[in-house]
Amino acid sequence: MTLRDYITGFSQAMILCLLGGTASAAPLLVKVVDRDNLPVSDVAVFLEATNSSSTLAPPGTTAVMDQVDTKFVPNLLLVQSGTSVEFPNTDTVAHHVYSFSHPNQFKLPLYKGNAHAPVTFDSNGVVILGCNVHDNMLGYIVVVDTPFFAKTDEQGVARFEVSAGEVNAVTIWSPRFKERSETLSKPLDFVGGEDKTVTFKMEKKLRPPHDQKSEALLWSDY
Amino acid sequence: MVRLLKPFSIGLLGLALHTSASAEEPSRHRFELGADLSYVSVSGHQSWTEGGAGKLRYDDDGLVFSRGFLDVGLQLTDTVELNLDIELYNDDLGPLADFTEAFVEWRPLVDSANRYRFKVGAFYPRVSMENTAPGWSSPYTISPSALNTWVGEELRSYGMEASISRRPASLGGAHSFSLHGSIFYKNDPAGALLAWKGWSIHDRQTRLSDILPLPPLPQIQPGMWFQRQDPFLALFMEIDNDPGYYVSAEYRYSNKAMFRVTHYDNRADPRAFENGQYGWGTDFNMLGMQFTLPGDIGLIYQWMDGLTVMGPFIRGAHVVDADYYSDFLLLTRAFGPHRLSARYDRFGVYENDSVPLDDNSEYGHGITVSYAFEMNKNVSLAAEWISIYTYRDAWEYYGLEDEGTETQLQLAVRLRFGNSR
Repeated sequence: MTLRDYITGFSQAMILCLLGGTASAAPLLVKVVDRDNLPVSDVAVFLEATNSSSTLAPPGTTAVMDQVDTKFVPNLLLVQSGTSVEFPNTDTVAHHVYSFSHPNQFKLPLYKGNAHAPVTFDSNGVVILGCNVHDNMLGYIVVVDTPFFAKTDEQGVARFEVSAGEVNAVTIWSPRFKERSETLSKPLDFVGGEDKTVTFKMEKKLRPPHDQKSEALLWSDY
Repeated sequence: MVRLLKPFSIGLLGLALHTSASAEEPSRHRFELGADLSYVSVSGHQSWTEGGAGKLRYDDDGLVFSRGFLDVGLQLTDTVELNLDIELYNDDLGPLADFTEAFVEWRPLVDSANRYRFKVGAFYPRVSMENTAPGWSSPYTISPSALNTWVGEELRSYGMEASISRRPASLGGAHSFSLHGSIFYKNDPAGALLAWKGWSIHDRQTRLSDILPLPPLPQIQPGMWFQRQDPFLALFMEIDNDPGYYVSAEYRYSNKAMFRVTHYDNRADPRAFENGQYGWGTDFNMLGMQFTLPGDIGLIYQWMDGLTVMGPFIRGAHVVDADYYSDFLLLTRAFGPHRLSARYDRFGVYENDSVPLDDNSEYGHGITVSYAFEMNKNVSLAAEWISIYTYRDAWEYYGLEDEGTETQLQLAVRLRFGNSR
């Protein structure tokens, strides 16, 4: 979310307040903290929609999973099912991107640039990405069946604008979680028109982030 | 020097033209071309590369063409790559250009939790955790550790390597495990240089057809025990027609930690002899680890312990029967385009036999400090200082003190050109 998005959202909220708007969209904040109460960024957060007619992304929805400096950028991408994801290779080296995550498996044989057509993900779940040339490349696409999804920011917060009755549960996932279940969920007794913050606190220590920008060592294979 | 650099620069130009011409249709092939030009200032014994006893690579102060290399990966299919690594040296140990490695690697992509890799050809055994950059260069220092200098000097596997690796999704994908096994030929004399010359610190890799000099060993002179030995070493020979092997296991935790163990045995018959070269039965265990420490400091530690034997078994030992070990600790930190690295090496050879005039025992340690500045993608500057202390009885055979400290300062301009970064 850019600063402009925040300002736009904020001014829209102000206008709604001034107009004295009733049961319309209000901010829902989902905050994720580790067991020491420190914010956790880059967590996938998605809300279960009450109305099941909006499970598929509108036709033509696209997203991009780039490859830069032998890393997947972003490391974690959230998309709604039905989204077409492009995998441009911005590196000077060729990549051979694949996933064996059922049922979203695919292979993009060795390429550079925009050699391959986008991949459309129709099934929910986590798609773990790898590169057959660079063993250390690891990325994630989280495919969800709801239009309400976001990643937590540096403050560990994901921000949604939803109306009362539109959503009824919130789920979070990150490859860094070591919790008992793979995803964590909470029901939402959310009444629109008032701010609400839902906080998830981890019980276990987090795994370190994989996609660090460390230049300490060259971890390439030999 | 000029004679040497001219064809080299024409080659560079040719490749530059080639890539700019094909920029719109990016190549799937990978290449890296490099050249290191250095100023060196040394103090120590005559270098082993000149047939002396010295541990370092250079003899005279002045400007030198340290190395050139071409490291290419030609994609034969989507999963099969031909790797060729050509090294250029302006010395008397072999031709101007020759291969250090040449192998085909197959990386089948099968729908399985396991990944498989197969290598066939001539390649380095899985030991070094320093030499991870193109051309088997170290990204940290100009000269690798004593341990990995020896790998570059004496070890090469002509054969095949099979690998299996696994990154369990249930563990968040951060943990990966791999196993590697190789069966190889043509490395039966490996161990000879370690016994007769000892450990060294330098960046000259032995190419597949190089002939290495030996110090003026009394035991190989006419009328002495090993008079059949040529006054030089040809390392990549099959003498007993029996293959050697190595096995290696690795565990990696994201970009935070890595552990590797390797067991190597060339299984050479120590009584075999062919074409002026003995078979040296050489085996070792290696344990290595690397960590990203807090403050983004990189740490590499490798330890090796082995045995090399040559000749018949008489009175409890082979005629040459030597335990050897080495370890090093490397710390490195990048500050944007700048990198500082420091390394402490220890090494030793302990002989179990008591053949006179063939005392191959030694021990010593070294300190290496290096600074590198990557000016841009194509040019970097590097400065490296090495100090290496050695105690070696055999030095008295050549009229030298049995102990001494040798130092080398190297200032290098390193040119790199390619599409592999």
